[in-house]
Amino acid sequence: MRPFIFSKSSALSQALSKKNNTTQFIAGGTNLVDLMKKNIAQPESLVDITTVLPDKITTNTKSIQIGAMVRNTAITNNATVKAKYPLLAKAILAGASPQIRNMASTGGNLLQRTRCPYFYDITTPCNKRKPGTGCSAMQGQNRMNAIVGYSDQCVAVHPSDMCVALAALDATVTLTTKNNKQENIAFTNFHRLPENLPERDNNLPANALIHSISINENPFNKNYAYVKLRDRDSYAFALVSVAAALQLSGNTIVQARLASGGVAHKPWRWTEAEQYLKGKAATATTFSEAATMITKGLKPLSHNGFKVPLLHGAVETALQNCLVASQ
Amino acid sequence: MGFFDEPYDFVAPPDDGRVEGIYKVTGKGKYSAEYKVDNICYAVMVGSTVAAGSIKSFNLSNAKQVAGVLDIITHQHKPVVPGLADEAKIASARFGLPVFHTDKIYFKGQPIALVIAETLEDATYAASLVEAQYDTESFAVDFDKAQAAVALTATGKERGTMDAWSNAPFKVEAEYNIKAEVHHPMEMHATIAEWTATDKLKLYDKNQGVNNVQRTFARLFAIPEKNIEVISEYVGGGFGSGLRIWPHALAAIMAAKQVNRPVKLMLTRPQMFYSVGYRPASWQKVQLGANAEGKLLGILHQSKNGTSKYENFNEGITRVTRLIYNFENLKTEAAVVALNLSTPTWMRGPGDCTGDFAVESAIDEISYQLKMDPVALRLKNIATEKNPETGLPWSTNFLNECIAKGAAMINWQDRKPLPMQDINGDWSTGYGMAVGMWNAGRGNASAAIEMKKDGSITVQTAMTDIGTGTGTSMQNIAHDVTGISKTKIKIELGNSNLPAAPSQGGSNGLSSISGAVVAVSNLLKQKLAEYAATENEVYKNAKPTDILLSDTGISFQTANNQFVSYTSIWDKSKLTVLEVEASSGPGAERQQYSFCSSAAHFCKLKVNRKTGKVKIEKMVAVADGGKIVSEKAAANQMSGAAVGGIGMALLEEMTTDERLGGLVGDDLAGYHFAVNADAPIIDVAFIGKPDPNINPTGSKGLGEVGIIGVAAAISNAIYNATGKRLRDLPITPDKVLGW
Ligand SMILES: Cc1cc2nc3c(=O)[nH]c(=O)nc-3n(C[C@H](O)[C@H](O)[C@H](O)COP(=O)(O)OP(=O)(O)OC[C@H]3O[C@@H](n4cnc5c(N)ncnc54)[C@H](O)[C@@H]3O)c2cc1C
Ligand code: SF4
Repeated sequence: MRPFIFSKSSALSQALSKKNNTTQFIAGGTNLVDLMKKNIAQPESLVDITTVLPDKITTNTKSIQIGAMVRNTAITNNATVKAKYPLLAKAILAGASPQIRNMASTGGNLLQRTRCPYFYDITTPCNKRKPGTGCSAMQGQNRMNAIVGYSDQCVAVHPSDMCVALAALDATVTLTTKNNKQENIAFTNFHRLPENLPERDNNLPANALIHSISINENPFNKNYAYVKLRDRDSYAFALVSVAAALQLSGNTIVQARLASGGVAHKPWRWTEAEQYLKGKAATATTFSEAATMITKGLKPLSHNGFKVPLLHGAVETALQNCLVASQ
Repeated sequence: MGFFDEPYDFVAPPDDGRVEGIYKVTGKGKYSAEYKVDNICYAVMVGSTVAAGSIKSFNLSNAKQVAGVLDIITHQHKPVVPGLADEAKIASARFGLPVFHTDKIYFKGQPIALVIAETLEDATYAASLVEAQYDTESFAVDFDKAQAAVALTATGKERGTMDAWSNAPFKVEAEYNIKAEVHHPMEMHATIAEWTATDKLKLYDKNQGVNNVQRTFARLFAIPEKNIEVISEYVGGGFGSGLRIWPHALAAIMAAKQVNRPVKLMLTRPQMFYSVGYRPASWQKVQLGANAEGKLLGILHQSKNGTSKYENFNEGITRVTRLIYNFENLKTEAAVVALNLSTPTWMRGPGDCTGDFAVESAIDEISYQLKMDPVALRLKNIATEKNPETGLPWSTNFLNECIAKGAAMINWQDRKPLPMQDINGDWSTGYGMAVGMWNAGRGNASAAIEMKKDGSITVQTAMTDIGTGTGTSMQNIAHDVTGISKTKIKIELGNSNLPAAPSQGGSNGLSSISGAVVAVSNLLKQKLAEYAATENEVYKNAKPTDILLSDTGISFQTANNQFVSYTSIWDKSKLTVLEVEASSGPGAERQQYSFCSSAAHFCKLKVNRKTGKVKIEKMVAVADGGKIVSEKAAANQMSGAAVGGIGMALLEEMTTDERLGGLVGDDLAGYHFAVNADAPIIDVAFIGKPDPNINPTGSKGLGEVGIIGVAAAISNAIYNATGKRLRDLPITPDKVLGW
């Protein structure tokens, strides 16, 4: 790890003014410190943002706002989240470990970097870490990598669980730009696909901060599920995950939300399947059809073909679990 | 227990607790990297970035500019290590990797430079700035690809003939592949090396045998063994990784020599993947035949395991095949496959764990052909009378009892004889079982007792306690033999200045040290009787078995106990500390009997048709470990091993990249061993019958049999649930899908 200067700030504006290309913000540090230890991130100075960003959850009649410094654990303990946005809590609890969730911030969770093993190994080529060097995963050990939305530059996946729920719930990200202006960006547009710029994970402007996340009230707090399939039962990243939520009228699906982690460079929404489910009866056959629709056009890599049937099973299971989740 | 570098208060553990438990849970117990040594500096190893070739040159200028850097060792710049001074010496030293004594690169990550600096931070940063240029060569790291080209050779004596069972009516022929696994004890390996004089060395080192460390470095540095003190009082797990002396320990000693200061070197978790061995990847093929009555007629067991390019490590995969069953016809073949990886080593249940998976899977498979219950099939074929390899009668072998007991504990009668007969929604339930066995060994060990006037004793040995409960067992044995209450028995171990003992490994630890503790406890009784005889004639020629020690004095075990207090003995004989030392080891019994520990493993699990998820619901492990000296520690060994077995069966895999030539992924987020969520509470039971011949306590080791058989029990249960026979480990969801 390269030596660095660490500073705290008394105000948001001060933190922003310290930020430049050789500076990095640090929140919980659960990802950034690892990246520094592995010489992937080598900031000359770290600006601690734990005291300058909101760490509260506020609600009004129509929505909930989660400050960027709210710890992952705090979200899962919040009464309003549990009552009105339980899918979010469920997804968070499927991730990492209690210790990490206690440290991890909301903003940091969005900005955590891929777990592609080559990205973490500076002796190997990686376009995301060092643009132009090539993608080791493309023909290497890509069991954990993408099956949709990748480019010939990068096949990494976004590792977050929380973000899958945020994508499913159509959250909004509020940013504070370098010149201290607030901007909103739809969550589904926050992360990006690798295309020809694999080094860019998201559309956050340079030197900007995530200020908070908001979610509008929605009818998805009764029939929802988060299914995370992984090699080990806890403390492992997803092979595939599915956030599913249904608004039901009797046995008829009024609206559906389906999103996945572990499949793409960004939390992935299955909008076609959502459309398909609208108005259908909530039956195993319908669910299976939706899963088939989702898995039809996927293009797995050399070692992750299994993710296609796995995703099929995960979608079916998640939709099925929506019918019992409210109990 | 306490610490060797500062005074401490002896805190007696709770009644059934571990002697070191309180020190561990309060954070006071010191692991090797935690000792404070004056004037210490830090060393960090730099690994090769290529998998094969040789070092052309270094650029150290950036690294040397880091403030605090004291020196950088390379093969071109190093202190003299007499035992590695030239090629011939390197060859005869059998140290393994001649670290910093060669320009050759055998694997990616191989230490090529060692940065020594004032602080760990300085050293770590400077290490990242060391640059090397290489002449690269072609390499092979993918075991599965490389093994096909390697020819097998016979290993062990053939029994009967292959022809004798070529017409067997029931036959299984199948191949099995297991990925390499890494030990990853919680405590990373670390060494603090201090040259206290030019020919005197003090080491705080994580290992499983201090005398082994002492011997190795005495040879390499050409100094007397007694000039080396090795302290390893707390060892945070080993699983076999501490049975060898690895390059990093030598590196720390070289660094201390180079800068003439104490040096600490602690491996990072990423370095743990390639610095202290691992269970090698393996391929096996088994052919098995049975007659219609379920008698196993013969077996051909072939195996290959990975090794490095600089050492041949043969895991001994087919050894267990020769042990458990009465195979009249048996042939075993083996080979090693040299790869550009570091050398593998023993890992819990070495060899046997691997071989047992294949054989126990094949036996399960043939049981379905025979339409015979796998329990009945095993009971019919296990060699209960004598060791089929040596022909010697077993001293004790209660494997059949383990099986019967385990079957009852898991409700084996609920198992459906055919697969996929117990389905509920997307889940299908299955039962599986397998057995394991391990040669029960014993080595020569010594122990000492120091006794004070207040009746307190300290029992001492050089043997380490790697978390197995050795210290607690020593306390229990000393208490049983002497009668002194446990609160007055202190244990000191893991220091080479204490009486010599073998390394703790191969399930030999307790079997070896228990004899010494019994011997020294009896010697203490005898010595005290001799002193008592100066006060009371009746103690003349009293046998240790006749007398009893209490917290305050010596007496006979009879009604007229003739009590003599320690106070009067100490006063009269002007004693300060009474010291006794004794040794004990195996003898002629080894020519008369064979010795084994054994276990039966049972598993009930369910498998999800849609997600490939395997959920283990119940696991039962019943072991014959002779007399159980410390029930809690023994059960802990068994359940820990079973959880390790779950890792082997379902999770653990060291991944390599055949194009880039190294390991892929080097953290515990990606290398999965079982966590609580993956493992049920393991139901453990013991047969508990002492082996009357093995050692004075009748106890046999449990470390290995706890894991041998677990993986097969799990995969056999998966077959029972799904009808899918999975022969490649680990069984991750992708392999389970599609039944
Ligand atoms: C072993 C392990 C297992 C894990 N398993 C899972 C899992 O299963 N599922 C899962 O979802 N996650 C998992 N995580 C990831 C974890 O959720 C993230 O590390 C965490 O959310 C990051 O938050 P942080 O506050 O610690 O971020 P930091 O490490 O502090 O920061 C991460 C990045 O975000 C930037 N940043 C942080 N906050 C802001 C802000 N407000 N504005 C602008 N930039 C900001 C930092 O500059 C840095 O670049 C795991 C992590 C570890 C170490
Ligand atoms: S997939 Fe992306 S992160 Fe992984 S090696 Fe390729 S470029 Fe790097």
